[in-house]
Amino acid sequence: MKMINIHFSAVILVLLTLISTMLAQSTIPIGVLALLVTLSVMVKGQQITDIFMELNTAPTKWRWLLLSYVILVPLILATIIYI
Amino acid sequence: MPSLVVSNLAVSDVIEQSLHEQKLPGDLAMWFFILMELTVFAIFFIGFAITQRLQPEMFIDGRATLSADVGLFCTLALIISSYFVARSVEAVKRGNNLVAKRQLVFALLTASIYIVLKITEYSALVEHGFDISTNTFYTLYFFITGFHFMHVLLGMIILAFMAKRAKQNAYQPNDCSGYEAGATYWHMVDLVWVIVFFLIYIIH
Repeated sequence: MKMINIHFSAVILVLLTLISTMLAQSTIPIGVLALLVTLSVMVKGQQITDIFMELNTAPTKWRWLLLSYVILVPLILATIIYI
Repeated sequence: MPSLVVSNLAVSDVIEQSLHEQKLPGDLAMWFFILMELTVFAIFFIGFAITQRLQPEMFIDGRATLSADVGLFCTLALIISSYFVARSVEAVKRGNNLVAKRQLVFALLTASIYIVLKITEYSALVEHGFDISTNTFYTLYFFITGFHFMHVLLGMIILAFMAKRAKQNAYQPNDCSGYEAGATYWHMVDLVWVIVFFLIYIIH
């Protein structure tokens, strides 16, 4: 089960990276681009911390400490740049 | 008879507790080090974003000299490398040091792609007359990516050391916290790059 999670997580990470790059090179409105790529980096961060770093089985406080980083930092960066 | 029942309950409690035990992988010291590193990078990222907000034209011109493809392939290289490292941790936990070593060799090979791409990108920028003193964009670009590059090099040294120890069959399924700590450091390097890619190559 754990190994399946690792394979699945790697596929999600690769796909989101490819989609983000395509979106950045497309002509979609800047607000939509900002929203989609910010969400994409949050999901990628969640996959790395939960699956690769194995924090989904770690004490809850540690897990949320790292998850708050991967959610808040992209959110703060997007807010500074776009709003 | 009652004492036997109490004893059986105690044993089942211990088994139940161990099944649901929430364990932090690796060493606690490594996690504090990772939190410190992530904080330093967050400060750099926020500095980059604020400067972009203040000087948007400079950042648009600067980004135009970077290749999104280089950023993309660097990201893919580090993600795939992290994938092999995660697999190697699973192999060690199953007591298979040789498989773990092989996965680490694959991780090092894919990480080498990142190294080659970054050196190529730095060389191309310098050839075109852009260096750390050109303007604020390049100062921040070279500083953030260069700082991350040094972390990748350190991570590769750690992975190579882990591979050498795995070859010597030094890790056991119930005694691999050092191995987990090294792997966690490598995932931190990957995590930071995901945000670097978003901030420098994707956002515009």
